This record gives sequence, C-alpha cells and structure tokens, in this order.
Amino acid sequence: MSDERKMKDPGERRTAIDHELIRELARLLEETGLTEIEFERDGQRVRVARAANMVAVSTHPLPAAAIETVVRPIDAGSVDPAKHPGVVTSPMVGTAYLAPEPGARPFVEVGSRVRVGETLLIIEAMKTMNQIPTPRAGTVIQVLIEDGQPVEFGEPLVIIE
Amino acid sequence: MFDKILIANRGEIALRVLRACKELGIPSVAVHSTADEDAMHVRLADESVCIGPPAVRDSYLNIPALLAACEITGADAVHPGYGFLSENARFAEILQEHNIHFIGPKPAHIRLMGNKIEAKHTANRLGIPVVPGSDGPLGSEQEALSVARKIGFPVLVKAAAGGGGRGMKVAHGPEELATTLAIARAESKAAFGEDTLYVEKYLARPRHIEIQVLGDGRGAAIHLGERDCSLQRRYQKIWEEGPCPALNETARNLIGEAAAKAMQELEYLGVGTIEFLYEDGKFYFIEMNTRIQVEHPVTEMITDIDLVLEQIRVAAGGDLGLSQRDVKFHGHAIECRINAENPVSFRASPGKIVHYHPPGGLGVRVDSAVYHGYSIPPFYDSLVGKLIVHGKTRGECLMRLKRALDEFVIDGIETTLPLFRALVREKDVIDGDYHIHWLEDFLAGGGMNG
Repeated sequence: MSDERKMKDPGERRTAIDHELIRELARLLEETGLTEIEFERDGQRVRVARAANMVAVSTHPLPAAAIETVVRPIDAGSVDPAKHPGVVTSPMVGTAYLAPEPGARPFVEVGSRVRVGETLLIIEAMKTMNQIPTPRAGTVIQVLIEDGQPVEFGEPLVIIE
Repeated sequence: MFDKILIANRGEIALRVLRACKELGIPSVAVHSTADEDAMHVRLADESVCIGPPAVRDSYLNIPALLAACEITGADAVHPGYGFLSENARFAEILQEHNIHFIGPKPAHIRLMGNKIEAKHTANRLGIPVVPGSDGPLGSEQEALSVARKIGFPVLVKAAAGGGGRGMKVAHGPEELATTLAIARAESKAAFGEDTLYVEKYLARPRHIEIQVLGDGRGAAIHLGERDCSLQRRYQKIWEEGPCPALNETARNLIGEAAAKAMQELEYLGVGTIEFLYEDGKFYFIEMNTRIQVEHPVTEMITDIDLVLEQIRVAAGGDLGLSQRDVKFHGHAIECRINAENPVSFRASPGKIVHYHPPGGLGVRVDSAVYHGYSIPPFYDSLVGKLIVHGKTRGECLMRLKRALDEFVIDGIETTLPLFRALVREKDVIDGDYHIHWLEDFLAGGGMNG
C-alpha cells in the first residue's frame, strides 16, 4: 500500500488509508464470491478486485481509467535498490559469495530474519574471506547480487527491512 | 604488451593515462572513490571499480582495495600516475608479488631516490654535481651548526623523506638554526612519518631546471631535454617551459648527457626527472623524481614523443626504440597549471563549473579532466587543468599563450587564470629573466593588485 501512495500524483492530497474499510470489503468479496467491489464515501473511492488482488485509493473522484493506472502490483525491482533505506552496501572490493562454501546453504535468503551482527555473505579479496555482518536486525526482502559476482565499494548487496 | 591496465589515480593524469591506453588498444580499468563517480576518465574507461569513500587513505591509497580491483577485473598492470602511490616502492613490490606489473621504475630505484640523502650520494657517485651540504643526516644541533657554517648561511633544512617541494625550511643565520631544525623535524614526522633532516646551501637566485630521462631497464637510456620550472609558489610549480630560456645548446647537451649516462649506469627503467638548481652557469642536483611528472606535456610538445606511451612500452619489456640522435627539439612550449583557487589569496575554491570553454587552435593543448557542469570535489588537489601551448619560437609561444589564456572560460569557481594572464604580460617573464624566488617576490610586491 505504501507503494501505491508513492505512485500517486504528488499534487494530490495524501489520504489516510481506512484499513477497516478495506478489510471489510475484502471479506465481503470472499463471502459473496464477487470479483470486484467499488465503494465511494466522502470523495474517497475504493475498489477491491479479486483476480488482480489489488486495491486502489483516490481522494478525488477520478475517471476509472485513472484509478487503474495508479494501481500497480508491488514490484520492489521498480524502485532503485540503491536508494532503499534498508539497503546494505559493500564495504569493500572483491568477489561476493552467498554461501560459506560451494554447495552449502546460503547465509541468508529472501525471507530470512537476521539479528545485528549475523553474517549476510562473504566477500573474498586476495584469497581472504571477509564475513559481511548485517548492520541492523530485520528481514531480508531482496538479495541483489549473484553468487560469485564481483562487487565494488558501495555496491548494493541485500535489502533488509 | 599488457592485457589490461588499471589506472590507480584520478583527475587529469588518470585521463592522460587513459588516452595512452586507448591509443595502444589496451583495455583500461578506472578505479575511483565515491566522490569521483562522475569523473571523465571513469566514464571513458572500459571498466570502472569504486574502491572506497572520498578520503584518499580509504581509496586511492588503499592498497588492498587496489589489489582487489585488479583481481576482479583481471588487470595485469597498474599505472600509478603521479602523487599517491607512484613513488611507493612497497606498493610496486606488492604488485610484483601478485604478478601484476607496476608501470614505473624498479622498486630499488624508487627507494634509492625516495631518500633524498641517498639520492644525493648516488648522484654524486654517478658524476652528477650536487648542492653543497651536509653529506648525510644531521645529528646534533652542534653538528648542524658547524656544517651550516662551513657551507655558509643562509641554509635550507630539508626532510630526507620529503621531496616534491615539501618539508623544506630556510635558516638565514646561526641564530635561526635551532628553531628551524626543531620545526622541520616536527613537520617531517607529521607529514612523512620520520624526521631525518639534512641541510644544503641556500642558493640566492637559481633557476629550477630539470632533465627528462627515459630508460629501458637494461642499460639503454636517453634524455629528452630540459624544462625550466622556476616560477613557483611555496615550492609548487605553476609555470613550466622548455627549452630553458637561459640555457644554450652546449650547456643543455652537457647536463643532458650526464643525466643519461647516470641512468644508463643505473639501468633505470621508465621515465624519470632529474631536478637541478642552476646558478652562475653551474648545475646542482637536488633530487630525482621516479615517476611521470605533471609537466611532462612540455617535453612532449617540443619532442613529439608520447611519454606515457613510452612508459607503458618499456614497462611491458619493450626496447627504447629511440636513440639519443632520434631526439630532436623543435620550437618552444609553455605549460600553465590552472588551479581552483583565488588568484590573489590562493584560497581553494571547489564547486561546480557552470561554464567551460577551453581554448583551441594550432599548438594549443588542454590536459584537464573537468567539463561543463562538473563539480570539483573538495577532497583532493585543486588542479583544474593544464594549458600547454607550443610555438615555433618562444615569442610566438608567448603570443599564443596570451591568446589562449584570454580565450579560456571557467565560470562557477575561482581559478588562477587571472594570475597567468598577468604573468604573460610581465616584462621579466616575457624576457625569460626569472628565478625560483621571482614569483613570490612578484606576489609579495603586489603584482596581482590593480
């Protein structure tokens, strides 16, 4: 939902999302077997559609086409990973390895929960393996590099939220 | 020839090396700090690797990062440029230990000439005249005083680990010596990590004349003439020209041959510059720089020899390809080092260049990494670029330089262009009648006021 807010025309007034309303609409959708419910109150129009599993919110009465173009599936890749507040960047130059050794389980995967100081990956330089710890606790939502990829200083490695 | 060259430097010299790599058809790797992401040579290089944050200690001097960058790119040679690690013998050795070529002299020679006391001994041994001074490091204050008395005041106290105009202080009389020694020792320790000092006779009004040399590392070496770099502010060169207006053919050949012979005996590899003070018709060796120098384009313009290209060739094991007879000098060249500084106060002026128009035309060369819209980062030196001009005679060269300086536009930051516009109109400069104190006298006398 936060992504949809970002994608709105910045000129529009931001609106508080009525979570209860949307949950209620979604429940109704389930119960009734409808594919789509559109609800309008006080200049707020909400549409809940089953197939695409998307929710659109707008503060002004907008033509339906405009609402649809505002809604897009959440795709983390469309946001520049380097600018994500949860990005962890490389502190050195070298070759990044995602697992402690070839064939072993990677240190982290998408969905892994990490505590401060846990190893995210290894960067090897001049035959020395350097464990790269996570600077903060959270969940790995994206791994931006491949096993064996050369990395430079400042290169985005993973995103932790 | 090398498969891939990593350029371990930044700014105009990195671009200069990149140009030579392109002309040789050798793939290039530009390493850079985060502050230099938009550098011109980074954009033009075949590959680039960010090696650290802005601080030089963590980036351009970061040997592990440089090695790692070589490893991930497969670079088999490193060009160190000037400054930074270019005269770091340990760096050259580390590269060799990792089977990476260092495009520069043999580490032993870097070390030899890096210690300025040892360098003088070597020069002396090789038949090159030296400045009278303490024959070795200074011990006690008493010893320093007796040496100074013997060579005669005023004397110049110098740091053995210094060089490039750094770590030098004048003592005008015996009463100043103790303080000067103490200050010089402290400064040397802070700047170079050690405080060995030596002392030399302070020459009254010498010219700074340096000889460019090139060797193949197997005993063949030539000289490529001299550059006069007398116009200096705080021991930093700002204007260099060649040939020297005060030298005739005989004097040039004499000192050039002495320099070449010394390099042949050393079996010197690569480019180097032997620096002298010249007074009353006599040459006095002060130091040797075992690297490519900022002012190398002056020599390139009057000899038509690409020094960086030659550097790379001999480093890759190539023969000199040139005998002394092949080196011919034509015309005159002058280089102005343009800094991002106020032309009167010399206060640094980093920032964004909002208008940039470099001069052009016959005989005009601009070696600069800046471009329209480029922001000069505050972390490094303030060199904006070098304007090098060539003419068939010194007179024509000066006219062309005046025209080129007047045409040059760099807006958005302060630069020393006005200083050069003033110098090119000064009688002493036009007559070539200056010495190493001339510029400071000119500035102190209000030459830039009104």
